[in-house]
Amino acid sequence: MRKLLNSVMNPVRRASDAGSAQFAQWFMQSTHRFTITGLSRSGKSMLFTSLMTILKYRSEQHYQCLPLLRYLPMDLVDKLWIEPLGDLPEFPVESHLSALENGQWPPATESVAGFQLIVRLRQTNQLKKYLLPFTDVVFEFIDYPGEWLTDLPMLDKTYTQWSDSAWAQQMNEPQSQFAKPWHSAVNDFDFEQPPTPDNIQLLVKAYRDYLLAAKAEGISMLQPGSFLIPGSGFDWLEYGFTPLPSRISSDQSSPWTQRFTHHYGVFQKQWLAGLKQNTFRETDKQIILIDLFEGLNHSKSHLYQLRETLSNLSQTFVYGNPGWMQRHLLKQRKIAKVAFVATKSDLLPASEHHNLLALLKDVTRGATAQLSDNEVQFEHFLVSAIQATDAGSNAQALRYVNPQGRYIEATFEPLPDSLKAMPADEHYPALPAGVPKDHLARMLNGNGLDRLLQYLLEE
Amino acid sequence: MSDTIDKPYRSKVTQTEIDQQPPDHAMPAKRETESVVVVEPPKGLSAKWLALLSGIACMLGFSLFEAVSFIEANFAASPIVTSVLAVILGVFVVSITTLTLGEVRGYRKVTKFIHRRPKLSDLADNDSRQATLQALKLHADQFASHSYARQCYKRFTGLLKADHNSAEIVAMYRQFVAEPVKVKASEVVKKESMASGSMAFISPNHLIQSLVIVWISMRTIKRVARVYGLRPATAGNWKLMKILAQNLAAQSIFDLATDEMTNQLSGSLAAKLMENSAEAVAAGALNVRLGKTLMRLLEEEK
Repeated sequence: MRKLLNSVMNPVRRASDAGSAQFAQWFMQSTHRFTITGLSRSGKSMLFTSLMTILKYRSEQHYQCLPLLRYLPMDLVDKLWIEPLGDLPEFPVESHLSALENGQWPPATESVAGFQLIVRLRQTNQLKKYLLPFTDVVFEFIDYPGEWLTDLPMLDKTYTQWSDSAWAQQMNEPQSQFAKPWHSAVNDFDFEQPPTPDNIQLLVKAYRDYLLAAKAEGISMLQPGSFLIPGSGFDWLEYGFTPLPSRISSDQSSPWTQRFTHHYGVFQKQWLAGLKQNTFRETDKQIILIDLFEGLNHSKSHLYQLRETLSNLSQTFVYGNPGWMQRHLLKQRKIAKVAFVATKSDLLPASEHHNLLALLKDVTRGATAQLSDNEVQFEHFLVSAIQATDAGSNAQALRYVNPQGRYIEATFEPLPDSLKAMPADEHYPALPAGVPKDHLARMLNGNGLDRLLQYLLEE
Repeated sequence: MSDTIDKPYRSKVTQTEIDQQPPDHAMPAKRETESVVVVEPPKGLSAKWLALLSGIACMLGFSLFEAVSFIEANFAASPIVTSVLAVILGVFVVSITTLTLGEVRGYRKVTKFIHRRPKLSDLADNDSRQATLQALKLHADQFASHSYARQCYKRFTGLLKADHNSAEIVAMYRQFVAEPVKVKASEVVKKESMASGSMAFISPNHLIQSLVIVWISMRTIKRVARVYGLRPATAGNWKLMKILAQNLAAQSIFDLATDEMTNQLSGSLAAKLMENSAEAVAAGALNVRLGKTLMRLLEEEK
């Protein structure tokens, strides 16, 4: 009899549980799916680490962090917890905090990791208190190597299209400075040889050396960036390819073109398609992190190259403003709000922040033009995940501890407010600030995160 | 020391090693869980009490002096007693003068507080963050030390960052000073109104009831003013008194109405209970009105 009852009741119970979970998801959860997009070295890992730490200390120990974040009022935060995000590995926040404790910046990300951050808010409305006692605000974050991001535009190109565009880019400044050994290797290479694995490896190695050299010199448009990361899931040793000179790539009968076209197809299907689906999942809010200091450290042409990279990337994502019906019933997601964020703003005196913001607007000009066409909201922000510097002796100066432990005062000449205004023969060396001993307090005193989150969360 | 990266470009950053230790950053302030009662530091004997006591002392002294004069009948022959009485009289005169000056100062301070309230919406549009901060500081300088408003303002200044613009500063001021002060003042008004209603309910006659309402109203004004950073001694100025007068006038009208209703229903116990209940509700409601009006008077200019 009990068995019979169970066989009848279990499906009912399951349906009831599923129903209540669905009810909670519909009415008590406000999910904000963020994509934090950032090129290599843009500070994604540090930003995640800082954000998790700040929110934890804010909700559990009531530190007055993020004063401009009115969407999550401290008085209403009941608790905060972290949950895994799908099958993605957990974000290594503990090891990043340990690295900071040991005076090291979090290491560069070499594989994907994700997490859900859930903030439970108490209900203030007297009636709702009984019907819906809380609201969960769910943040979804995915950290990934920035090198993967630059590969996404390759998904929509044929091998020949990509090869030609890659060659064209290498001929431009500043890439051309670092591509010389690669170009001479190609010029000396005998393409009459058959594309044996050894010959392919020879060419791939020379191309990879160029990519690594260019990366070290601050170039952001590196394709395929996945070849540079050991943790990438693509076997570039077996299915490697490089751009070919147009005399070869335009010849569809060339065995090299045929082989690289095949390898390129494998790269698209086995690696890029899955990467876009799993890592760059559909979201409704996007944060694009930009390290302007990487460009300022090198030259004006680096900043132009950064602008080009950002324009190319903005063509990769789906932007638009879906209505309520599309969002909630049809579950369609398009990026409707974008924040362009210049990270590490603490490496510049506060008096120059307005110029940095103007420069950020200029560098993202190409990308924002596309967003305007799609009627997508966007805004520009300056953020420092940790306040690693101190005020200097005058408004144009700041102080920092370098990796050797020496306390340095750096005085800045005024920053240009546009690329046009930047002289071609001048640069602003990036300050090699070390991890401060009081890094926890400095993380909690970080700047701009509240303004950024408030913009993204407010309706 | 020059620590620039070797580049074929001219560096626009000059770097020098300095012989100092980097400062330690303090953790951000924690949100306190304050109780509703605003605690004032103990101040010892206030001028008011001193005036009262010295007045009594004078009366006693002169009475004693008269008695002694009568007994000795020689003013010149009692130098010690007359000296003591002169000192006490002196203290009385000094304290009453201090009290009067305090009231004058208080009146001017309240007038200044009300007329120089910042118009936050205008400040938010101000391009100069320095001017916005200065305007808020000018207003906050009027907050009495140890007042709740002063504590909130101190917390607000601790949260300011160099890159906050005027609109953000004003938004933070509203969030961390104006709103909490308003919430606390509302709590005080609510509590005082409950007290006012209860006292009105148990008052045996209208004279006692009116006196009780005057007392609670004065107390409400004092406590609400304290929350906003005005010192209690300065709260009882003419402007605040005007609101109190309105409060009492409305209460008298309600008394007439309830009296008439009671006459109609005859003097039964139920009618008496109803009268007292209605007056208690009215007393509480009018106290809320008093508090809210006062809050509007002390809040930001709309």
